[in-house]
Amino acid sequence: MKKLAIPTMILAFCCGMMTSALAQDSKAAAAQAPAAQPPQETVCFESRKGASEVTKRDLKPGWPNVKCSPKTGAALWYGDPYDGTVPMGKMPGLEKIPEGHAVIKPRTEKLALMPMCGVSCHNGVGPQFSPPTLPKGKKPVPLPTMEAMVPDLKDLQHGRGRIWCMDCHHTTKRNMLVDHFGDPVSFDQPQLLCGKCHGDKLRDWRDGIHGKRIGNFTSTGKKRWFTCTECHNPHNVQDGARNRGFVQLQPEASPQLPRGMKDASHEKLHPIAH
Amino acid sequence: MSSLMGAAALMVQSDDAAAATEWAEHFQKNYRLMTDAEKAEARARLERRYSSEYGKKVAVDTTEAQPGVLMGYALNIRKCIGCRRCVHACVEENNQSRGTRPGEKIEWIQVLRMERGEFSKDKMNHGYPEGLGIQVGGNAYTPAGQVLEGQYHYNPEAVPEKDATYMPIACMQCEKPPCVKVCPVRTTYREADGPVVIDYNWCIGCKMCMNACPYWARRFNLTKPVLPKEEMNPVTHYLGNRPRMRGVVEKCHWCLQRTRHDRYPACVEVCPVGARKFGNLLDPESEVSKILERKNVFRLKAELNTFPKFFYFYD
Ligand code: SF4
Ligand code: SF4
Repeated sequence: MKKLAIPTMILAFCCGMMTSALAQDSKAAAAQAPAAQPPQETVCFESRKGASEVTKRDLKPGWPNVKCSPKTGAALWYGDPYDGTVPMGKMPGLEKIPEGHAVIKPRTEKLALMPMCGVSCHNGVGPQFSPPTLPKGKKPVPLPTMEAMVPDLKDLQHGRGRIWCMDCHHTTKRNMLVDHFGDPVSFDQPQLLCGKCHGDKLRDWRDGIHGKRIGNFTSTGKKRWFTCTECHNPHNVQDGARNRGFVQLQPEASPQLPRGMKDASHEKLHPIAH
Repeated sequence: MSSLMGAAALMVQSDDAAAATEWAEHFQKNYRLMTDAEKAEARARLERRYSSEYGKKVAVDTTEAQPGVLMGYALNIRKCIGCRRCVHACVEENNQSRGTRPGEKIEWIQVLRMERGEFSKDKMNHGYPEGLGIQVGGNAYTPAGQVLEGQYHYNPEAVPEKDATYMPIACMQCEKPPCVKVCPVRTTYREADGPVVIDYNWCIGCKMCMNACPYWARRFNLTKPVLPKEEMNPVTHYLGNRPRMRGVVEKCHWCLQRTRHDRYPACVEVCPVGARKFGNLLDPESEVSKILERKNVFRLKAELNTFPKFFYFYD
């Protein structure tokens, strides 16, 4: 009995680790190794909570890379809009922008299990981390499935049932996305993939109308471009429970009430008669 | 007069930066009438004063409008989720007063919450305070279509709420600004690249412009502004976010200290849904020009002929 229990426990542990790591939450992944982080770190999120976290640090004394809202944990101010960015890479339609003037923040490093996706499981080899998760004995044991690791997959909210995993993910290179020709696309350039169906949005994004850019405002200036997945969760874009497109966020504090007014519904409760 | 100047010269030698500058500031001209040398003097004076007051190196920029630039702003009204991040980013950037007592908290952007479905037929005849949409039967005491406090003090757990639309407003940087017309000391004026600015030193605090502005864009420093040293933004512009004094009016100036150096305004950079767009109206490739060309655009209160350079659009 005892002999059986130990490998099961190891499996359960690994499964738990993978689940959290693949949940695209770098914060949760980091929490697994608390010793590695100093305790008073300020982390705030840019657009999408759990997927666009930045850590506050001083670029020079008294000048942080980002200021965070103490109330909601949202990024409120950028000391350096290009902090932690890399060149966007080739993007059709943006040839007019001078070399190096379009930068992005790489998403790949935020996806904790990404390096593993290309080299394990999908090519029949067990993950390379220890302890190995593939069973040694003959006794059947539960294995972490893709669905267990990314719970969003069970109920894919994208494409109204007309698309599945392989429409976006590369069939053999699982650490890559796929374009219309079957060529791999980096997770850092999701726009090359999303534009397959959302051409109108891609066009608006390219012209700066859809989505977000920060940095220099002139049309040829250096900008950090926010890519599709920095704001949208591709597995969950049409959740009907949402009020309007976006996941709900906690709002920042409301303004000061006029002198003497106790609460904002005052006018409704004490109307002046016509 | 000369004796006063002499006193001022004496004061300049003193160690107290505030006292040393105050005298000279009294004799300062309207910013638009200053020569370049006088501007440089005023700038050095202010840098000295602010640096000692806030205990860090404060820069007061005096960069002029660049030729070929006419700033414009566009906001996607369908996208805004009412999170108020722009409001607070603006406060971080522009050194507004942030105290807790009455009149000490100043914010330039207001996000109005609009009830959805107010234009339905059965609500047509409901006046205030039933709904906030189409108002009928207003009078001098309860004007129709008035914006109520409750409309921008909304405070739910999470936004966007069901049945609500959000509409941020701030200074529209009108091409024909009524606020400029009424200013008796002509200290508020339109800069060549678009924004309407204020020389705070010449503002007498008469609040005429606040009355004239149809967009409730202007704020008054009723008290001495509360601006903690460590929160003060040391990168400032003379006509922009330099710390203000008690008794002057202030408002949005499209982050002049940033936009004169080709950087997006602070509110544009923090909006999590990318609803805010900023660019050069004279450049056909800029995002604002593309929006004007391609989207459905409207100006707030267009009937007043103020010609805002702030446009609302929707997909
Ligand atoms: S919105 Fe108001 S403060 Fe701004 S320029 Fe127009 S009238 Fe002046
Ligand atoms: S930050 Fe953007 S979404 Fe939030 S209230 Fe301002 S304009 Fe609306």
